[in-house]
Amino acid sequence: MRARLYSVAASTSLRERTMYLGNFTASMLTYGLFVFIFSRVWAGAYAGRSEIAGYTQSMAVWYFIVAEITSFGFGRYFWGLSRDVKSGQVAYQLGRPYDFVAYNYAERVGGSLADAAVILAEGLAVGFLLVGTPPSAGGGLGAEILRGGLLAVSLLLAGSLNFLLHFSISLTAFWLEENDAFYWVYQKLVLVVGTLVPIEFLPDTVAAAALWTPFPYLSWAPARVFVAFSPADALSLIARQLAWVAFAVLLARAVFSLSSRRVALNGG
Amino acid sequence: MRKWRLAAYGRFMAAAFAANVKSVIEYRVNFLVQTFGMMLNNAAFAAFWAVLIGRTGAVGGYGFQDVMFVWGLVSTAFGLAHILAGNVRQLGRIIMEGSLDVYLLQPKDALLNVLLSKTDVGAWGDLLYGFVVLGLLPGLSLERLALFCALAVPAAVIFASAFAMAESLAFFMGNSQGIAGALSEFLLSFSLYPEGVFGKGLRWVLYSLVPSGFVAFVPLRVFRSMDWPLVPALWGVAIVYAVLARAFFGLGLKRYESGNRMDTRV
Repeated sequence: MRARLYSVAASTSLRERTMYLGNFTASMLTYGLFVFIFSRVWAGAYAGRSEIAGYTQSMAVWYFIVAEITSFGFGRYFWGLSRDVKSGQVAYQLGRPYDFVAYNYAERVGGSLADAAVILAEGLAVGFLLVGTPPSAGGGLGAEILRGGLLAVSLLLAGSLNFLLHFSISLTAFWLEENDAFYWVYQKLVLVVGTLVPIEFLPDTVAAAALWTPFPYLSWAPARVFVAFSPADALSLIARQLAWVAFAVLLARAVFSLSSRRVALNGG
Repeated sequence: MRKWRLAAYGRFMAAAFAANVKSVIEYRVNFLVQTFGMMLNNAAFAAFWAVLIGRTGAVGGYGFQDVMFVWGLVSTAFGLAHILAGNVRQLGRIIMEGSLDVYLLQPKDALLNVLLSKTDVGAWGDLLYGFVVLGLLPGLSLERLALFCALAVPAAVIFASAFAMAESLAFFMGNSQGIAGALSEFLLSFSLYPEGVFGKGLRWVLYSLVPSGFVAFVPLRVFRSMDWPLVPALWGVAIVYAVLARAFFGLGLKRYESGNRMDTRV
């Protein structure tokens, strides 16, 4: 019964998002611009060398294309959630007969599926134009299909993890009205630890430490599944993403449980 | 007569700035959070460049200090443009909604009036970031600080003029927010990356339609060689862009249709 409710929330949000195709224009233009600029930056960085930290120029460009999908496709939950808390709109949902975390996940991530699909399609097209075909999955059509499937799973987990962490940060608005600073710090850590450059580019100690944080599993994991595919590595990355999603679910529920005690609902 | 008009506009700009500063100070926590956030945003890219240049050496002709200077200068100029002309990114929406009337009925120039009537709180972080970066670069001196300021002002005028032109497209296209946003994003993004990586094919665009050359590439060359004689040329380019922005806005104004809205300025 509940599952049907959440799937209806997700599909309604998805249909609403795809109703106006102009909604995608701004993010598509910005994403395309970034991919173009970074493809030129990588061309400059790879001048006179064929490999950096195990990545060829083509791998680095395709890495960036996939790593940015989480930010562009599944990236803007904080502002909406935080605004709902600050404006009191959240009170409307708290009294409803559904799980607050699950409902918000279904509604917001459901709508994001359209953004992620559009950005992925654009990324593939722009990538082909800029650097040609992506690195091979290394085993014919079957391996390519398997890679595509595991990439989709990895991206969905990255998007889910991003939502849950945004959710936890946004609910700090129950204590601090000016909670934007927490989000800024989070967003920049995501950018530096695995989005702009693969974590293999970071100094060894920093890269080793980063693997114990959730940040690489938002962008590095799906990008790595795509550019350096092996079934065993991909499954290992997905397993680690699942572990972080499980942790983030517990965190989101704990933050919600604590914060919802601070809500005073008055009729009217 | 002309001298008096310039003095009056100078007083008007100072009064608008003072009013905007007062409104910022009213929300101190918000101001500090936004300032901190913008500086953090810029610092994240500094980390990216440190990692990349640490691995590869110079990229597109830029070493780490060059990248930091460009980020600092562009950040300060972008911040200054949005502190003084905080409405510049809202101009298209104001035109589209037919809300220009309140500015048209006042005796001051409509474009200047609408641009100066608001400030962007987060822009203070951008403004300060450039000076922080300059302070961290080796060889800080009064002359370098003066040159930095002399380069930041025309760059800010070019930013504001280019954004105003992009937003003025709303006179001709109605809802031009997508294209105006893209043009603005292009200008900012191309300015922040090494000129050398873009190749010769894009050069004419980067010195005309998207004037990154005048807000970042040429200022870097000037700063590297402390080439003061080129500074007036950049001020001249800035004046040309300002005049073009004013002319383009004036051209669009002939097509403007009021939204018959009741607006007040408080």
